[in-house]
Amino acid sequence: MKRYISMLLLTIVCFLLQTSVFPHLKLTNVMPNLLVVITSAAGFMYGRKLGLFTGFFCGAFIDLLYSSVVGVSIFIYVLIGYCNGMINKLYFKDDLAIPLFALAISDLAYGFLYYVCYFLMRGRLEILVYLIQVMIPEMIYTTVIGIFIYKFMHWLEEKMYPEQEIPLGKGEAEKQDTYHVV
Amino acid sequence: MRKKTKITIDPKYILAAVLVFCVVLGVISYRFEDKMTPIRSAAGNAMIPMQKGINSIGRKLSDRFDYFTTMKKTVDENKKLKKEIAELSAENKLLQQDKYELDNFRKLYDLDEQYAGYPKVAARVINGDPTNWNNIFIIDKGTDDGLKKNMNVMAGDGLVGIITEVNKSYAKVRSIIDDDSNVYGTVLKNSENCIVSGNLVRMKDGVIDVTGIDGNVEIEDGAEIVTSQISDKYLPGILVGYLRGLKKDSSNITQEGYLTPVVDFSNLDMVFVITEVKDSAELEEMLK
Repeated sequence: MKRYISMLLLTIVCFLLQTSVFPHLKLTNVMPNLLVVITSAAGFMYGRKLGLFTGFFCGAFIDLLYSSVVGVSIFIYVLIGYCNGMINKLYFKDDLAIPLFALAISDLAYGFLYYVCYFLMRGRLEILVYLIQVMIPEMIYTTVIGIFIYKFMHWLEEKMYPEQEIPLGKGEAEKQDTYHVV
Repeated sequence: MRKKTKITIDPKYILAAVLVFCVVLGVISYRFEDKMTPIRSAAGNAMIPMQKGINSIGRKLSDRFDYFTTMKKTVDENKKLKKEIAELSAENKLLQQDKYELDNFRKLYDLDEQYAGYPKVAARVINGDPTNWNNIFIIDKGTDDGLKKNMNVMAGDGLVGIITEVNKSYAKVRSIIDDDSNVYGTVLKNSENCIVSGNLVRMKDGVIDVTGIDGNVEIEDGAEIVTSQISDKYLPGILVGYLRGLKKDSSNITQEGYLTPVVDFSNLDMVFVITEVKDSAELEEMLK
């Protein structure tokens, strides 16, 4: 429960930054997508359910405030959260390579799905142009920002759930292989 | 040890449920737009005040960002500008004489007077679009200040966009450079009609598309395009931008070109909303 609340708060903070601060920090007309970072991170770090949960709220905020049709962004973000949750088993705290790779793929997938839903449907067929001008720059920028957000989330995780040393013995020796050896 | 009694649902089913929910929501919001308004405004009312607060931080950051990136440029520019000021002030005196003449011409056009006569309300841009795909922003005035849907938005002396959704304390504006936007325009010089449509790809070069100009007319680069009489949402005579690069399109019947908007969309801060909705009731009756 604590995690759900903290993820919701983090989503709100990211949404505010995304809409109010990052439009001023555009590079080559492109800004990073914090909401994909947070959705991907939630799925990857905490599993499918939290990925779904975070994705749902990210999509809902965007749809309710900015889109004419409600549901498309929710659809995309929920899928991203869920798919990242599926590789939750690969999560290992000290390794940033896999999550960042997953994030890059997620952002590319987001760009592609958004293109299909809103642009391809209106007959804008030049997918390569959109790929080069929007999706790939966004992916790179997002991945760079993602490093900082992952660091921040690891720090938050440590504050919320400090690692406890579990004493061995004390009559529970038979269970020791279920714990991580510290 | 306590046994777990929590009911656990496989996330697969939650996913399926949410996806179905999305489709239903999409259909509802598309078909019955007004049914969604309470939910939308609830989300808006929760978010907008927070965004207002953070936006000021964003602006400060943006200023800092600009400060560092443009410092060197500014120093060079400053030297050049000082030289220019001397030249310009001399020129200015000459121009002032011309101005009287120009004012007379303006009266002939009668257009600009109409333009200045539109009642306006100033509004501040709160935030931009969270995606890289659209160009929608939110302003801090709503129905409380007399805004309505389909009111035109300007900045400086050029068209910015149109209000697509209005709430108690905020309104959503779709700018003309948004990929989904289409505006009926008129070339000021020869009243030739055209369609100005936003284009995400072209916007990187600072231009948007102009299509549908008659194939036989010749219009030189830099011709002014204003909003047209025949548009049912945009008031006539608002400057949109300048035309260039006109050439025959693939159909060989009409011509297409590019339009450089007058407004600098990258740094919108204050905008003016014209509090007059184009009365298209007549038009609607004709269409019935």
